[in-house]
Amino acid sequence: MNIYEYQAKKIFKNFGIAVPHGLVAYTPKEAQDVALKISPSGPWMVKAQIQAGSRDIGRFSDKRAGKKGGIRLSKTPEDVYKNSDEMLENMLITSQTSKKGRLVSRVYIEEFIKITQKYYLGFIIDRISASVMLLLTPILNRTNADIIALSQKFPENILKMNIGLQKELSSDQFSDVIKFMNLKNHSAKLKNFLNKALKVFYYYDATMLEINPFGCDVNGDIWALDAKITFDNNALYRHQDILNLTNDTGIDERELIASKYGFIYKELDHGIGLISNGNGLAFNTINEAQKQGLATACFLNLKGGVDRDKITAGIKLIMLNPKVDGIFINILGGFTRCNLIADGIISVANDLGLNIPLVARFEGTNKEEALSILQSSGLSIQTADDTITGLTLLREMVTEDL
Amino acid sequence: MAVLIDKKTKIIVQGLTGTQASFHTPRAIKYGTNIVAGVVPNKKEKSHLGIPLFSSVKEAKEKTGATASLIFVPAKSAKSAILEAIRADLKLVVVITTGIPVNDMMEIRQELKNHKTLLIGPNTPGIITPQVAYMGTFPDNIHKSGNIGIISRSSTLTYEVVQTINNAGFGESTVVGLGDDFIIGTGFLEIIKDFNKDDLTKAIVIISGFGGNYEIELAQTYKNLPKKKPIIVLMVDNQVYDSDNIGLASDIICHGITTSDEKKHLLEKAGMIVVNDLSSLINKLSTL
Repeated sequence: MNIYEYQAKKIFKNFGIAVPHGLVAYTPKEAQDVALKISPSGPWMVKAQIQAGSRDIGRFSDKRAGKKGGIRLSKTPEDVYKNSDEMLENMLITSQTSKKGRLVSRVYIEEFIKITQKYYLGFIIDRISASVMLLLTPILNRTNADIIALSQKFPENILKMNIGLQKELSSDQFSDVIKFMNLKNHSAKLKNFLNKALKVFYYYDATMLEINPFGCDVNGDIWALDAKITFDNNALYRHQDILNLTNDTGIDERELIASKYGFIYKELDHGIGLISNGNGLAFNTINEAQKQGLATACFLNLKGGVDRDKITAGIKLIMLNPKVDGIFINILGGFTRCNLIADGIISVANDLGLNIPLVARFEGTNKEEALSILQSSGLSIQTADDTITGLTLLREMVTEDL
Repeated sequence: MAVLIDKKTKIIVQGLTGTQASFHTPRAIKYGTNIVAGVVPNKKEKSHLGIPLFSSVKEAKEKTGATASLIFVPAKSAKSAILEAIRADLKLVVVITTGIPVNDMMEIRQELKNHKTLLIGPNTPGIITPQVAYMGTFPDNIHKSGNIGIISRSSTLTYEVVQTINNAGFGESTVVGLGDDFIIGTGFLEIIKDFNKDDLTKAIVIISGFGGNYEIELAQTYKNLPKKKPIIVLMVDNQVYDSDNIGLASDIICHGITTSDEKKHLLEKAGMIVVNDLSSLINKLSTL
């Protein structure tokens, strides 16, 4: 799970990391008003709030915003109004969003802090060694601010340090940092800054924490000018304060509902709706469907779902998606029990009616029970013994249906 | 023969009294699995489903001679259950639990360095030696004994592969699900070494996962291993898998490799055969 920059900065502030003074605004008028509360004379930063990076070099889909990105320096209150007006209710497209972009529902207005040299700081997890990595790199120009692109093109420009599960940097590690950054002054402040960021990372069970950029002002104080935290969904139960923010994440409503049930839901295109109980099976099915000329509108991964009510709610998501013209339910039950999925299908069909073609394939745990549930329901649900047969059957039904 | 488990392997089930364990354990026993004890902290009963209960892994190990544990404990208490099994120095621990926090898994991996335990999972269907025994939640009706060893990071795709290769006349020596979580206990290489020593296994099928660099690690480490048995890697294209996934960005940054094409190239260079769908898998298996 991700949160907005201004929410992450509030966390930073609570942990003693310096962030510029800022306020959130939902309308251009509000933006201008809060700007004057922050500072009587400016300048101010106007920052589009979406939960994706590279906003600075992004573009808005509506032309009224011109060619400028989602982070802008504004010298007068009128500029704050104008920039906010261009960004709000507009879609911001960056290298980290889909082509459609993300809707900007709010802007964050901040005091402007002058920084001498900008750096990127990241804490991420290396899956292979199961340890935390520190990443650090100087930001030389706007376009190399994208850490992923940079790590592919110029990996030598990034300091990557495996810090295991240490709660603080050792003095040896810290001298490597100093050497890499070519910094002699302010080193105590820097160490303090890095350790505080690391503390946030562990405290909140983050899987990624990025400050892009941070840097020193003329007094040698270190400021986090941005803040991005990705939380481990599996650990959110430990963090009620973060869970309270989940209703406000800016992701698709259906995705959000599915994630609340512990499922994965993705929308792709127009075509069939796929329900399966694993990513591997789902992706393989999507590829097989494509070979048969069937596009996929969306897929729902019920994972190891064994809760009847949640399964029913999940199936409903697919049934209610208007882009779906046929449904393929492909379940290979191990942990998952086929009969519970069959119960869910019947319950949704009784509730909403079944007016699009549906093919179900069940294999594995409680397969026979599932098939007899479908059979005795009296609904026109076709079944198949394997993926390819199921898809062929569905293709015939969808084509007839048109 | 087969790898990791057979009829004699003495297995305990941690969290035996829970709903899922109560459902899957009797099925495994009926299949032939030698489940000797359940471990439930603060237990009230002496037995469950006719299986004796103990309150600690250590006690269960001492009283029954068990060498393996199957863990069904819910995510919130899984860390302490897994650490308990590792610290009791069981040879094999299989974790079915899904949703274990990443930080907990990092701590578990750290503890694992001080012990010889082989940790399989979490988020895995487990290990099955067909028609002999299994630890996990396998659909027991689809597996057939044979000479293909399977190592997989997916659960459901494994069942699909098993059913497809069985329909084509093959069977499995042992199927090992490594688990599909962000951090898992054991990578591919350890299990390849086991299959290499196993007389029954003639070829190995690897089912790759989505995201993660376990395949890259495999390519890098397998290079130095003597090539004993043909390995076919099934890598389904993942056009859908996108940057929303937490794994991707850190994998690129840590290891610099992204696309399935790049992974495929590395695996082939290391001496493995790579296929991207099930029909090609069957074709390759038929030519071995």
